[in-house]
Formats: sequence, C-alpha cells, structure tokens
Amino acid sequence: MATMTYLQAISDGMRQEMRSDDRVLVMGEDIGVFGGAFKVTDGFIDEFGSDRVMDTPLAESGIIGTAIGAAVVGMRPIAEMQFADFITCGFDQLVSVAGKMYYRQGLPVNITVRLPSGGGFSGGPFHSTNPEAWFMHAPGLKVVAPSTAEDAKGLLIGAVRDHNPVLFLEHKHLYRRVKGDVPDGLYTTPFEARVAREGTDLTVIAYGAMVHTALEATEDLDGASVEVLDLRSLVPLDEEAILASVRKTSKVLIVDEANQTCAAGAQVAAVIADRAFEDLDGPVRRVATPDVPIPFSPPLEQAVLPSVDRVKEAARELLEY
Amino acid sequence: MSSSSTSSHPPSPHSAGVVDVVMPQMGVSVSEGTIVEWRKQPGDWVEYEEPIVDISTDKIDTEVPAPAAGRVSEVVVAVGTTVEVGTVLARIATDAKPGEAHASEHAGNGNGTVSEPPTSEAAAGTGATPAPATASPAPEPAAATPGDAPGPGHRDQRRRYSPVVSRMAAEHDLDLSKIEGTGRGGRVRKQDVLAYLEDGGASAVEERPEPPMHIESPYRPEPAPPRAPTPPPAAAPAPPQAAPAPAQPQAAPSPPPAPAAEPAPVASGHGEPLSRMRKSIGEHMKRSLEIAAHCTTIVECDMSAVERRRKQIGTTALPIVARCVVETLREFPALNAWLEGDTFTQHDQVHLGIAVSLGGDGGLIVPVVHDAQDLSDEGLGRRIRELARRARDRQLSPDDVRGGTFTITNPGQFGAIAATPIINQPQVAILDLEAVVKRAVVITDDEGNDSIAIRPMTMLCMSWDHRALDGAYAAQFLTALRRRIEAV
Repeated sequence: MATMTYLQAISDGMRQEMRSDDRVLVMGEDIGVFGGAFKVTDGFIDEFGSDRVMDTPLAESGIIGTAIGAAVVGMRPIAEMQFADFITCGFDQLVSVAGKMYYRQGLPVNITVRLPSGGGFSGGPFHSTNPEAWFMHAPGLKVVAPSTAEDAKGLLIGAVRDHNPVLFLEHKHLYRRVKGDVPDGLYTTPFEARVAREGTDLTVIAYGAMVHTALEATEDLDGASVEVLDLRSLVPLDEEAILASVRKTSKVLIVDEANQTCAAGAQVAAVIADRAFEDLDGPVRRVATPDVPIPFSPPLEQAVLPSVDRVKEAARELLEY
Repeated sequence: MSSSSTSSHPPSPHSAGVVDVVMPQMGVSVSEGTIVEWRKQPGDWVEYEEPIVDISTDKIDTEVPAPAAGRVSEVVVAVGTTVEVGTVLARIATDAKPGEAHASEHAGNGNGTVSEPPTSEAAAGTGATPAPATASPAPEPAAATPGDAPGPGHRDQRRRYSPVVSRMAAEHDLDLSKIEGTGRGGRVRKQDVLAYLEDGGASAVEERPEPPMHIESPYRPEPAPPRAPTPPPAAAPAPPQAAPAPAQPQAAPSPPPAPAAEPAPVASGHGEPLSRMRKSIGEHMKRSLEIAAHCTTIVECDMSAVERRRKQIGTTALPIVARCVVETLREFPALNAWLEGDTFTQHDQVHLGIAVSLGGDGGLIVPVVHDAQDLSDEGLGRRIRELARRARDRQLSPDDVRGGTFTITNPGQFGAIAATPIINQPQVAILDLEAVVKRAVVITDDEGNDSIAIRPMTMLCMSWDHRALDGAYAAQFLTALRRRIEAV
C-alpha cells in the first residue's frame, strides 16, 4: 500500500502490467522520449524500450488503427490520446472498426484507449471535453471513468486485460489533486459502481471528477443523509447498483460534467424512470454542463461546469421536495 | 475540487490597500509549486507584472509576475517550500509610493505588521470559496424549474402523490388524506408515510383502542364496526363487542349479565329474501356439514415472535402465520388435500385460501393465493392484500377463487377466542385464527425453572375431516405449526 496521486496510480498500473505481460505496449503522441504531455509515461521508454513505448505521428486515426491491428495479432496495446478531445480524429477506427470487429469477424480487439478528459483548469474548448457519451452510444465499446487513485490503477489493469476495446477516461483535473492509498502489485477493479458514501435521504449519482464535487456538496446538508454513488463504469452500466440505491432513498440527483443532452446521466435517468418509477418520491434531477463548448475564460468556465454550489442547491431542493 | 483556483489578478495596479501574490496555476494539471528564489524582498518596490519570485512545478519552472505595482510588504513562503496552487506567497502594499522609503508607510500598512482584515483573497486561493471574480458571473443556469414557483397552484400539490407514496399507500391500505405532509407545499412524501407507519398508522385508520393484540384481518370492515357514541378511553382493551372474556373456557356457559329488560312481546321487523351470496354460502356450508365428518382440534400458541416480526416487516400477523402454515403443510401433506367421494388427492403445491369478509352483510369469499409455497411472508402479505382489495371491490376473477387446497379464516379482530369453522369443500381442513390476547402463562427456562409471564396468546383452531385423517395427525400438525410460529 502506497500513497499515490491519481496520475501516479495510472502510471503504476501501466508499468506493472507491462512488466508482467510483454504483450502490453503503449503508443501515443510524445509519450516516449518526452514522457507524455502529462508525464504519465515518464521513464517508460528507458525501461521498456522504443518497441513497447512508441511515439507516433499526430494522427489519432493512425494510432487507434495501429492499435487495433496489433490487438488482432495478439498484442494488448494501450493507446494514449494526448487530450480526450482529439479522439474525434480516431472516431471511425474506434466506432466502426474496433467496436464491430468481434461482431463481424469474431476477432477480439483487446485495446485500451486512454483519454485525458474533463475541464476545470481553463483548457478551453479543445482541451476540456468529456466525450464518453459518444462511445456509450456505440455498440462494442466499454467505457470506464475512475474517480480515485485506487480505482484508476485497478480499472486500468482491468481495461488492459478486457478482451473488448475499453475507453479509459482519466480526468485531468484529478491527476495531481487526488491522492490515496493504492494497493501494491497487480489487481483489477470490477467494472461496477461503488458507493462512495452511504446515505438514506437522497442519492447523488456521478463519476469521475463529479464524484468529488458531489461528495463535497453533500457533506453537510443540514444533517441530511446523502448517498453518493460512483458509477466507475459507464458501459457496462451497473443498473442494479443504481436501482438499489434509488429504491433505498427514493430521490435522485445525477451529476454530469459532460454537456447535458444525451450524456451518461441521461441514460441513468432513463433507467431509473423505467425500472424504479414506483420507488420515486420526487423528480429525477440532473445537474450538467449546458450544451456549449467549454469556455477558456476562467469565470465563464466556472459558470458552466457543475459547481459545488449548483449541486448543493439541487440537492437541497430535492431533499425538501 | 469546486473551483480551479484561478488567481484573481490583475486587480487595478492603482487600487489601494494590499494585494496578495499567490502560487499560480501553471498549466493543466499542476496542483503545487516550490519557491526557488525571491527576486524582491520586503520593502522593495515592484512594478505591475514585474517578476517577483521564481517557482518550480513538476511541469515547468517559471517566474511569477507581480499582480500589482507597490511595495512588497511581506514574504510569506520561504525558499524551498512547496505549497498548493492558490497559496499566498507574498503581499504587496499598493498604496505606497515608489520613491518613499519602505519604513514610512502609514499606520496599518507597516512592514511586517499583521494588518490585513481577514484575507478574503487568501481564502479564495485555497479553493474554499470562489474568488470574487468567479463568484457570480454569468447568469447561472437557473436551477428552479418554472413549475416550482409558489402560487395558487401549490395547494393542489398537496394531494398529488409520488409513485412511491402511492405504492406504499396501496400496500398498507392507507388513507393518504389522513397523513400530514411535510414536503414542499404540504406534499406527503415517503418519510411522512414511513413515520405514519412507524406510529402504528396502518391500524390507526380509526382511532383505535389499544389494538395490536388482535391478529388483523387482511381487510378493513368497510363501514367501521358500530362504535359507541362516546370515544372509548384510550386504555380500554377493546371496543365492547371485542372484549375477550379472558380465562373463560370456550364452552363454559357464561350466563351473560343480560339486562333484565322486558323482551318485546313480538319481535318486529320485515322479511326480505336472502341475497344470492348468502344463499350460496348457506348451501355450501350445509353441504359441507352433511358430507364431512367435522372435528375441531385446538392448540394454544405464543405469538410474541410473530408480533415482533410483523412490526419489523410492517405487515399484519396473517402473512407470517400463513407462511408457517404453508411450510408445515409440506410436512403434513394429508392436510393439503381434497377428498372427493372416495378419491383422496394430496397436492404438491399449496394453494392457500384466505377467507375475506366483505363487510356488513356482504358475506364472505375465499380468494386463493396460488403457489403460496413460493412466496415469502412479505410476498404473501402483498398478495393477500391485493386479493382482499379486489374482493372488496368485487373484482375477483373466477380463477382467483378456484383451486384452494387449504383455507385460513381469521375473524380474530372481532375478539372471539375460539371457533369451530366449517371446512371448505373439497378440502379436508380449515384453520381458524382467533384473537390474540395477553395471558399469564407458565414458561419454563432452560434450567427447568418455572415462572409466570405475560404473553400474547392465541388459539389455533383447526376443523378437519375425520374421513380423511385422524386426530393424532391433526394434533401433530398443529403442534408443529405452533413450534414454527413461536420460532418465527
């Protein structure tokens, strides 16, 4: 057990999995000699060599396409998008090729795509995206999004070992802000939700950075007992955990950092409306980013991202409902 | 996590007072930085955006420009120290003048004196509260929904129930208009229903005189049983008609203290033909008495465990006892059977009939819980409530009353302590649950010591058909049932 940042935990998970399994390799823009834009792969090239730590051209479709090819012949590539935003350039390879390969040809595509995502640091409209919902909509892809250092390592190793293409959303805002005890050695975290805090009066459902926003916002709400559910995995979505919590509290607030329309939280809300209707004691409320690009200006960015205050206000309203 | 601590510069370089120099956010993910070198010392003059300190982060090394022109009044963080983004590194007095010696500052701005009012900017820097610039900028997406506006429409909300409240009301047969709402606009919400149930609300539909000693029927008699014009005192054991005569043997001829009123010479009244249902009940009962060799066996049973359990799961005692009956019938299959002529059929499934009074003179009907062996006591409770509701609403389908293999009747709430029910043909037995009353009973502890205790007791009265089985079997069944009930 060691205390690590979220970023160190991801790095540790990759390094250990590469040591134990020589089919695992990493590829991406400036991840080798430079160690990655966020230094996640710092030092990797010295340990594993340039055959397994590959600097690629600035071409996401090439990176993902190459990874798919490597996976088809038995490798377990981890492809890094420098920023999650850039994955749009690799969309076709991911959605049309990787997601449908097993369906069409019975070939597993054992790739992991790391997506440094999310805003909150004035990254502006090209460096702050939360793209998960696009891929939740595409069959054949799994999508996970850790909120803690321990889960970051466990979910990453789980993603590398999963036989499906897995999108691993690592939140940039958490990289060095979140620290925690991380077990030594290799372990996997199941693609299931986790109760971040138990409660009885209201359930707040979130993932990634919003878990911390939810926890902070509901830490002391006039003594209300608020449950916070950390989804951890968006595909598969842990419907049973969601329903169990809703059946207990009967009130739900869903927080998305992504743009509101068709976000992961919209799917969660639909599941609840469909399968927990008779357990609801209030409307299913959502707090999300409005459907606008993430502004560069710090005050404007803070105005659009779900803030502790907005979550607090929505939670209060539901509690009083 | 809430707000990325964007340092709040630049305030106008000419603004008066003190401006903080904070550890800046250098790049996307940096959360802390280390002081490398101070380029200015306390007392030095610094221009707006002139480098004041060199810092190092895990991504880059850089210099921090002064957020305002002024004289450095205080250096807070020493060289070599690592601090979080937003931490105050130094303070600049902005009302000083370039030429002046630093010692000449006016009172309140003295070099090194702790002068500032509570440094709101420092607080902002830690992320605790958003910096002023970010506090209330653009119109926040409105959180209030249009429908929430208080107004005349609000009143109506009070009697609009959420799905969970409606469901709980159906399950517990509650009149929601009797429950006080504490939600917005007086809305009845889940916790109100829970609180109501916890207070014994389910049975409090009528103001009840200390009730829980009675096994409650699955139904509520439609018009409340005739009540004395004056409300009974809260401590009265039961309404008059329910007063159990404690300790009176069932058959004892207890001459009622009949008022010696003169009987009217001729009873007055007017004749009416029997309803179809009454006639049909009569025919069935008479026929059963004719063909079956009725015999009734009675066993006394301690209901303490059931009372506890029913409070736990929030049902009446009936489903819990019913669950025990179903389990015991699996051990005594000859009671879960039909006798038709000379053909005796034992059943694998338990289709449990529950006699439901339709209230008033509406008669009696026996809906059947099919495959009761597959249900938990909670599941049984739900099914029984549902059947009883449909029975009262006259909505039972023929299938709902067909195929019973054993019947339970429980008029216990009306206070009788024993009865000899009539078997529902072609079944071979019927169990009657009567009132639960507190009795002094002798109990023996593990070491054989006897003592007298007050326990909620009831009689399990079962009529059975002597053509199909014998008394020993019936008694063994009832004893096994009692053991199960007492160990719920």
